[in-house]
Amino acid sequence: MIVFEEELKRFQPIPEVSQAEEAIYNNDLRDISDIITQVTAELKGAAMDAKLTGRVRR
Amino acid sequence: MATNRPVLCPNCGAQVRKTGYCSACYMHIGVLKKAYNTSDYYYNVGLDKAKARDLSGAIESLNMSLRYNKKNVMTRNLLGLIYYEMGELVMALSHWVMSVNYKGSDNLAVKYLKHLRQDQTQLDSVDQIAKKFNMALGYAESADYDLAIIQIKTILSANPHFVKGYLLLALLYIQVNNYEKARTTLRRVLKIDKANPLAIHYLHEMGDTDENIIQMRNESVENDGLFEDAYMEEVSVAEANSKPVSDGPIRRLFGAIEDRYRQMTIKTGEFGEMRFAHYSGIYVMVGLVLGILLLFFVVVPAQKRDLRKENVNLTKEYSEELAAKNAEIASLNEELLAKQGEIEDLQYGHDHADNPLPDYSDIEHGLSEDDINMIIQSE
Repeated sequence: MIVFEEELKRFQPIPEVSQAEEAIYNNDLRDISDIITQVTAELKGAAMDAKLTGRVRR
Repeated sequence: MATNRPVLCPNCGAQVRKTGYCSACYMHIGVLKKAYNTSDYYYNVGLDKAKARDLSGAIESLNMSLRYNKKNVMTRNLLGLIYYEMGELVMALSHWVMSVNYKGSDNLAVKYLKHLRQDQTQLDSVDQIAKKFNMALGYAESADYDLAIIQIKTILSANPHFVKGYLLLALLYIQVNNYEKARTTLRRVLKIDKANPLAIHYLHEMGDTDENIIQMRNESVENDGLFEDAYMEEVSVAEANSKPVSDGPIRRLFGAIEDRYRQMTIKTGEFGEMRFAHYSGIYVMVGLVLGILLLFFVVVPAQKRDLRKENVNLTKEYSEELAAKNAEIASLNEELLAKQGEIEDLQYGHDHADNPLPDYSDIEHGLSEDDINMIIQSE
């Protein structure tokens, strides 16, 4: 059963040429290397925090 | 003698340590290589789907490829090309720009962008299409279905490869219960994108089976009458001077995907130089032969048929006229015979009369008094 209103929600406005720049910026998606970099940075930060906490305790 | 050249990280370009980790981004090179291989694998899947004209499936695979390696230039270029084929120029532009950003030279996207930059009218046209589509979407949301249909038809007449436009048009036709037109519209979608999930979903909802859908893909969309109504004639006259987007140089290139992407290495500089001029003589000859065949098999038989019909009509007309004249002659003959009979009867009566009548033949000169007296005496 096709519900027109529901189906219509699938159609998003398409960007005009003047909005191309915005579309390009939005296009910069994250790949696996970005995710690994982020996770590594987080782990590094966590390790630094743990190190600092240990020093403070000492 | 082998030189110990330092291994550079493909992610950031820094030196990779002996442990396999990058000295700057701490990424393991093995993981990166595996990710890039997977990216290439999805690129190949996407390429196969694009060759088979399953554009939606190709987009899905190519997006997956970018999830593993967003710097995969080949994937970006092909994705841009597919978006271009589907009439979404801004999306195509964004992928090509990103591609050029990652690799500025020896890149097919440079050529694509150069072509687009040179063709300002095409960019303007695409901009107009985007505006009109968004307007049509607004009409559809506010239940002005007729206006929305008219607007989308205008777009599609200018850009006959705009898949999103066809899908919205089909949805609108379904909404106004014009299922035949909806089917015709969706058939056009399937011609561009063979396995478009939304088109297949709509066809299933309208009761079409998978066999029907497969058959639809093979049917011709030429002269399917989608744009043949009074309004579209006006539009086509109004837009006669504007150049359709489909005539762009890149559109022709989509047909050459197989050649261009057969190998992983791209030969730049060959792009856009499909020399159809070589075949122009052959095209002219084929055109002439087709024209002559058309003349002999269509025009001449039609003329013969008309002449034969005219001949039959004339024969019929003359036959009727002849029959009428014959009937008239027969009746006149009968009348003549009757008159002859009468004459014979009178002649017979005259010949056999007992007392012939006095001769008054000279009566016209008048009688003298003596003559009259003589007549009286004799009687």
